[in-house]
Amino acid sequence: MTRQPDFSSAPRTSRVPLFQHLALAACALVAIAAAVLAYQARGEAHAATRRLAEVSREVDAAKGRVQALEARARVAGAGMLAPEDAPPARIVAEVASLLPDDVRLERIAIDYRRGGVLELLVVAHDARAWDRLLQQLEAAPRIREVEPGPEARAAEVRSLVRARWATGPR
Amino acid sequence: MPLLGTRTYLAVDASSVTAAELGETVKGQRLRTLAHEPLPQGAVTPGPLGPNLVATDAVRAALARVLRGVGRARVTLVLPDGVARMALVEPPRGVLARDYVRYRLAASLPWSAAEGVFDTLDAGSGRVVGAAVRRATVAEYEQAASAAGANVEQVHLAPLLGLAGLLRERRGDEAHALLGDVAMCLAFVREGAILALRSRRRDRSRGEASRLRAELVRLAAQAANGNGSVPLAVTGSDAPGLRPDLGAGAAANATAPVPTLERGAAEASWLLGLVT
Repeated sequence: MTRQPDFSSAPRTSRVPLFQHLALAACALVAIAAAVLAYQARGEAHAATRRLAEVSREVDAAKGRVQALEARARVAGAGMLAPEDAPPARIVAEVASLLPDDVRLERIAIDYRRGGVLELLVVAHDARAWDRLLQQLEAAPRIREVEPGPEARAAEVRSLVRARWATGPR
Repeated sequence: MPLLGTRTYLAVDASSVTAAELGETVKGQRLRTLAHEPLPQGAVTPGPLGPNLVATDAVRAALARVLRGVGRARVTLVLPDGVARMALVEPPRGVLARDYVRYRLAASLPWSAAEGVFDTLDAGSGRVVGAAVRRATVAEYEQAASAAGANVEQVHLAPLLGLAGLLRERRGDEAHALLGDVAMCLAFVREGAILALRSRRRDRSRGEASRLRAELVRLAAQAANGNGSVPLAVTGSDAPGLRPDLGAGAAANATAPVPTLERGAAEASWLLGLVT
């Protein structure tokens, strides 16, 4: 509604009819109710957004786990040993713990693609030390298929031992 | 049924007082009651300066009579043609229209601008019709209406109400004469905009119709770039008697029905701006 010109000699306060007061009050109530509902809806929207973010994070984490499991499944399917299942440091530590005092490990090779084949180049002080080493290796729960290399038992034994690292129980 | 209540327009002119009760609906205003009361000759002399109500008691009595059958709680007092100084102006951007009208009219008023009440009517195309009335003159009419029992909430001008009606019709080029008892307003309108405006006192002597026609043609020629052959229309006091003499060129609506008062042959051109 456009403003009507008013040439009153003095400003007056317009007497508004009762129904207009009521209509105004009703409009105010509707506006307040709408504002409250809008505020509540805004809170619910924020909560839903937060929940969506949490679910998204969970989905991302699950995807990561699935990818890791798939990778491990691929590795297992191909007869390979995953470095995560048998880290080199762990294998070296375990092999070192099996060495008798008079045996020294000169080189160790780990072939993960062939299922964790170990090649240990060892030097034993004498034949008895060499035998103790082989016994220790064969008794170790994580080492299987121990194949000693050629040996000369007359004096110091220097030979290559092949074995396989086992991830599961014997 | 008036959804938004009713409002009474109480108009005073030299020859009569009129009360029109209008119901306010969502679609606009509908006329519910119209009351008209003639005044003794010389009881009211509409003018910009000096006392307008000469026979105050007679005016109050007439006002009281027309207010009998209408609501008095929300009354808009309608002042007659002749009391206001009017001008069509185009306020610069950023300037309050009412302030600009005060600035433009101040020098031409027969009284100090500080004594005046100024207001505007949007005339379309960035223009406004500005009007100034002396505060003492307004107060004179207000006191008479209040004494008759009206609760005056607003004061309007008859010519501005008539112009508002023309603006709302949004027709093509037309030259209109809105007649009051002692003064008139000439306007050239085009599709909801007033392009030219004049207001002056009437010369009701013999030959008024031909003089009116000549003035309207001049106004139209000036506003329509030399094209003086536009429809002419006359409404208001004595219009029915003047129309036949306007002759060729009169608008189709020049003889169309307009709100006619229940007594007397006069018309209320200001009602055109109110009734939808």
